[in-house]
Amino acid sequence: MDHSSGEALHVGLETAAPTVKKRTFAPRVTLAVQTYAWRLVIALAILTSWETAVRLKWVNSFLLGSPSGIWEAFLRMLLSGQLLNDIGATLTATLVGFAAGSLLGSLLGLGLWYSPLLARVIDPLVIALNGVPKIALAPMIIIWFGSGMFSKMALASIATFVVALLSAYQGATQVDRSLVNLMRSFGAKKYQVFWKVVVPSSIPWVISAFRLNIGFALVAVVGGEFISSDRGLGHMIFVAGNLFNLNTVWVGVILLMIAAMLLYTVVGYLESKLLSWSKSDAGPRTSVGA
Amino acid sequence: MNQNAIRDVVEVRNVSHFFDNPESGSIPVLSKLSLRIRQQEFVSIVGPSGAGKSTLFNIISGLLTPSEGSVLVHGQDIRQSTGHVGYMMQKDLLFPWRTVIENVGLGLEIKGAAKSKRKELGRDYLRRYGLESFADAYPSTLSGGMRQRVAFIRTLVTNPDIILLDEPFSALDYQTRLVLEEEILSVLREQGKTVVLVTHDIGEAIAMSDRVVVMSKRPGTVKQIYDVGLAALHGSALRARADHRYNDFFEAIWKDLDIQIGREA
Ligand SMILES: Nc1ncnc2c1ncn2[C@@H]1O[C@H](COP(=O)(O)OP(=O)(O)OP(=O)(O)O)[C@@H](O)[C@H]1O
Ligand SMILES: [Mg+2]
Repeated sequence: MDHSSGEALHVGLETAAPTVKKRTFAPRVTLAVQTYAWRLVIALAILTSWETAVRLKWVNSFLLGSPSGIWEAFLRMLLSGQLLNDIGATLTATLVGFAAGSLLGSLLGLGLWYSPLLARVIDPLVIALNGVPKIALAPMIIIWFGSGMFSKMALASIATFVVALLSAYQGATQVDRSLVNLMRSFGAKKYQVFWKVVVPSSIPWVISAFRLNIGFALVAVVGGEFISSDRGLGHMIFVAGNLFNLNTVWVGVILLMIAAMLLYTVVGYLESKLLSWSKSDAGPRTSVGA
Repeated sequence: MNQNAIRDVVEVRNVSHFFDNPESGSIPVLSKLSLRIRQQEFVSIVGPSGAGKSTLFNIISGLLTPSEGSVLVHGQDIRQSTGHVGYMMQKDLLFPWRTVIENVGLGLEIKGAAKSKRKELGRDYLRRYGLESFADAYPSTLSGGMRQRVAFIRTLVTNPDIILLDEPFSALDYQTRLVLEEEILSVLREQGKTVVLVTHDIGEAIAMSDRVVVMSKRPGTVKQIYDVGLAALHGSALRARADHRYNDFFEAIWKDLDIQIGREA
C-alpha cells in the first residue's frame, strides 16, 4: 500500500519535472555555493576566535591546544617523517581489516541463504558476537598476534565481519519470493537463483553494512593501538595525551576524521557503481553519523 | 486413452488446493479441478477474482505442489519440476537492476544461451513489439503497459511450446490491446504453440480462443466450457468479434459470471 502510493507520487513528480526544473535550476547552484561558503565562514570563525582566545589568555592553551600550535605540531611531525609512518600504519590496518572483514562477512551472510538450518544453528553465536564490544577482544588478539599491525587488522576484521554478516544475511532472507518463483519457472537451479537474484537484491544491505563498518574498523584499529602498539595514529594520540601534548592529539583526531571521510567517499563511489540502476531511494541507508 | 495422452499436452487431474491461514485455518482455493488442454489449442480461463486462476497456473508450472491431485505435461507427472512451460505471471516481475534487454534475456541466460545470441534474439523481439529504443533502459523508467510487454517478450523469447499467460494485457490501452491480441494470435498459431490465457475480459477470451473455461468462485472449479473457435474460423481476433455468435457467447459467459458476483455481494 505504502509502496504504491509512493510510486504514484514519484511518477507525479517526474511528469511535473520540466517546468519545475527551469525555475529551480539557478537557485540550486547558489544553494551549493551558499552551503560551502557558510561552512568556510563557520570554520574560519571558530579557528580565529579559538586562536584569539588562546593569545589573549582567555583560555588555557595547555588544556585546549591552539590552531597555530596544531599546525606547528603537524609540520614538525610531517617533516620528521613520523607522521606519515603513523598515518600509513593506521590506514593500512583499517583498510585491510575493513576489506577482509566486510567482504568475508558479506559472502558468508549471503551464503547462509543456501542453508537456513546453518543460519539457525549459528544465530545465537552471531548475536552474542554482535553484542560484545569488539575492543574487549583486543587483549586476547594482541597476545595471539603481537602488538604489530597484524593484530589491528585482525581486530578490525572481527569488528566489521559480524556487522557485514548480519546485514548481508538479512538482505538475503528478504529477497522477493516472487522473483525467485520467476527464476524457478524458467527452470533455474539454486545457484542461479543465488547469483542472479539473491546477490543483486542484497547489495543495498551489503553497502549499508560497509558504511557502518568504516566507523567500526577505525574504532577497532585506534582502540588496539591505544592498548598496545609502537606506531599508528592511535599510538600517537595515546602517547601525546599522556604527555598533555594536546596539539599533537588534535593532529591525530583531525587526521582520523579525514581518513573516515575519504573512506565514506570510496564507499559512496562503490555504491553509485553498484546501484546505478536505482534512483537513490532503494534499500536501507545509513547516514554518515549513524 | 493412449491417444488422449498424446493429444492432451496438459492434463490437470482432480486438483484441490488449500492455503494455510493462521487465523481461519486452511482456505480451500481449488476444488477437484480437472482440465485438459490439447496440442496447439488456445484456451482462455475466465472467473471471478480470487477463484484460484493464478494458483492453478502456479500449479501447472510446477511452482506450487497441489494439496491433492496431479498435473501431467506431455503425459508426465510434473511434480517437483519446473521449466516445462513458459509462464508470464500476473505481476511483470522485471528485475530492477537489469536493463530491458537483460530482463528479456533472463530465461535464455538460465538455459545457458550465449550472450551474443541473447542480445540478438532480444533485440529482434523488442523491435517487433516497438520497444527497441528502450533496450538499455531500466524498468523503473517504463510505463505499466511497456513493462507488461517486456515481461511478455521475456516469456516468448525462450520459445516454450506451452505458454501460460496470466492477464498479460491488463495494463494496456484498448487499441494496443487489440493490436497485440491480433499479433500474438497469428504468431502463436504460426509457431504451433499451445496457449492458456487468464483474462477478466470476456470479449478478449471469446475473440482469441478455441475454448473458454469459466471458473466458479472460490474454491475454484470448472463451471462451464464453451467451444468457441471463432478466431480459428476467421483467422483473426478482430473478425471473430464481428461474428454474430460472439454476442451469444458473451451473454452466456456473462451470465455464468454474473451469478457468481451476485451471490458474493
Ligand atoms: N501464497 C498464498 N497464501 C495464502 N493465500 C493465498 C496465496 N496465494 C493466493 N492465496 C489466496 O487464494 C485465493 C486465490 O488466489 P489467486 O491469486 O489464485 O486468484 P485469482 O483467480 O488469480 O484472482 P485474480 O483474478 O484477482 O488474479 C485468494 O483468496 C488468495 O487470497
Ligand atoms: Mg490472478
